[in-house]
Amino acid sequence: MVFVIHQLVACLYLAAGICAGVGLGFARPQITRVGFGALGLGWGLHLVGFSLLHTLDPTPPVTDIGRAVSFMAFVGVGAFLLLLRKARIHGLIVLVAPLAFMSEYFGLQSLGAPEVSAIEASGGMPHFHVLFGSAGLALLGLAFIAGVLFLAEHRRLKSKRSLARLPALPSLEALDRVNLLALTFGFPLLTLGLVTGALWVEGMHGVPFTWSLHEIGASLGWLVYAVLVVLRFAAHQGARQCATHAVGGFAVLFAGYVGVGLLL
Amino acid sequence: MKLLLVGLSHHSAPVSLRERLAVQDPEAPLQKLRASDEIDEVVLLSTCNRTEAVVLTRNLEAARLRLRSFFRRDLGDGLGASEHDLDTYFYEHRDGEAMRHVLRVASALDSMVVGEPQILGQAKEAYKSAVDCGASGPILDRLFQRAFATAKRVRTETGIASRPVSVARVAASLAAQIFENLTDKRALLVGAGDMIELALSALRDAGLSDVCVANRTAERAAALAVRYGGSAHGLDALPVLLRDADVVLTCIGVDRPILTPELMRDSLRLRRGRPVFVIDIGVPRNVDPAIDSLDAVYRYDIDDLSTVADENTEERRREQVRAEAIVAEEQQHFDGWFAALRAVPTIKHLRGRVEDLRRGELEKALARLDLRDDQRDGVEAFSKALVNKILHEPTTRLRKEAEREEGMAYLELARLLFGLDDESVEDEEAP
Repeated sequence: MVFVIHQLVACLYLAAGICAGVGLGFARPQITRVGFGALGLGWGLHLVGFSLLHTLDPTPPVTDIGRAVSFMAFVGVGAFLLLLRKARIHGLIVLVAPLAFMSEYFGLQSLGAPEVSAIEASGGMPHFHVLFGSAGLALLGLAFIAGVLFLAEHRRLKSKRSLARLPALPSLEALDRVNLLALTFGFPLLTLGLVTGALWVEGMHGVPFTWSLHEIGASLGWLVYAVLVVLRFAAHQGARQCATHAVGGFAVLFAGYVGVGLLL
Repeated sequence: MKLLLVGLSHHSAPVSLRERLAVQDPEAPLQKLRASDEIDEVVLLSTCNRTEAVVLTRNLEAARLRLRSFFRRDLGDGLGASEHDLDTYFYEHRDGEAMRHVLRVASALDSMVVGEPQILGQAKEAYKSAVDCGASGPILDRLFQRAFATAKRVRTETGIASRPVSVARVAASLAAQIFENLTDKRALLVGAGDMIELALSALRDAGLSDVCVANRTAERAAALAVRYGGSAHGLDALPVLLRDADVVLTCIGVDRPILTPELMRDSLRLRRGRPVFVIDIGVPRNVDPAIDSLDAVYRYDIDDLSTVADENTEERRREQVRAEAIVAEEQQHFDGWFAALRAVPTIKHLRGRVEDLRRGELEKALARLDLRDDQRDGVEAFSKALVNKILHEPTTRLRKEAEREEGMAYLELARLLFGLDDESVEDEEAP
């Protein structure tokens, strides 16, 4: 049942991406609205899917990579739907929906993978680590998407070219606001993810840091974001530099957090 | 019944003639036209670029002459030009062409600036005036409703209206790509001439309301500032004003740029990196292009704006092809419905003939039978139901076939088979 729901969620996210792409690309607002409807419905089902995990016996952990990535998509889409009320960023759906689909699809492939036995012996810390870390990564992923679009739009405006044949992107100000909000909530969650991860490792190995590739990558990513937070909130860095940092930081973080997890 | 459209527009007539034929209050002209025997329905559309009358008539030639006289005498008040000269300024469209023209006009495909948004509102206003004074009827109602639906489709299904094509609108559109909302932004106008005011009007339409003016002559700055509820300053206040200005609009006569990278860099530092949109419509340029190197400054001069406007115009042309396809599709729907009206007199006559037969035969039958009242009612209901059932299929087919040009043969055949009086039918209400 849960697996079927996740399959449906993936289909809805895919439909949302296609409808939004067609709607925005061919100036068909009705189709774009269908895309938003599919995304909202997909998110609702996603919520049901995660809620139903608790009805299973035994309750499966969320610490496997598949469920973590699926949870990232869930948080990312939810945050995007919330941010729509704060900024005119409807155009972001063309990136958010396909990324959510890919995450959910990947999650489906990995569901049911064998669990790491050590996790069960470590209490709730692994779960907190995955939940906080994934939520932080999802929000910073949104900042990454906003950053990519910001840089594209900035480049176009500077080059003074028309966007006549392409759909209009959200304004630079709206993209910067998404970046700011995602950083404001994403960085503390990421920090909590790292702290709970360190506590988990300490519980297993007696030391909080074992110099694994995963730990090094995640820490480097965190450092990039820490610098960005300081520059953004204390030194009032410009929007373009913030967008560049958000893109670079996420690349490092993703490689360290998920990429290494996939390789190993 | 025939549709006829007579009028003139920016395509056919100079502004000197268009302004003489413009209609301010359409009520009296509409009533005058509606009072003519040869005109059954009429809608009058008058804007700064066109004056057109679309009418439904049973006598095409008489209606044509009436409209010519209406334009020349009633509206033009005895125009000086000879009739032959005036003919060159007017155009006429009939039936399908008239329908297509109305759909194209409402969709802004016939406008001076293709895709402009005002014409739809003007067409709706013209139609409302005709409805209010009883000049429109079921056929023009249907035509105009179809035209409004077509215009809506064109606007939503094509990008014809999505890109601005005037320099001022391009500037406003670019501002919307930088700022999410212009209502909380401040504009600094450097200069106080007509050009700057024109550009400002587009930005104000987009929501910008907080304005301050810096000019060499304080009086002109004050006059402009008063008009827009802003503050007036001398040019020496620029460094201070730049700190709070999100949109800087410059058009002032200077030998060398007044906005330099150094000046902008200082203000950006105080603005904590918040972006600035600089629109330089002055010639020679008022802003040093070197400020492009500053991240948070987006500078567009008059050539840049014109280039974007040209690209958008080209894009509108491309979208026009899609829009014309929508118009053709919608015209086909209306055309079918309008053509089907040709079958109405024949069907009406056929039903009348059969109804007469039914009544006659019913009376004869009832006279022979000795029936109670309820039994008589039953027999009458039976006869009506039988006639309706028999006629249902032929009338449906006649309506359907009449939508095609070849369908006229079916109407002829029906008249022949049932011995209908063709002449009286045609005179009565043939479309």
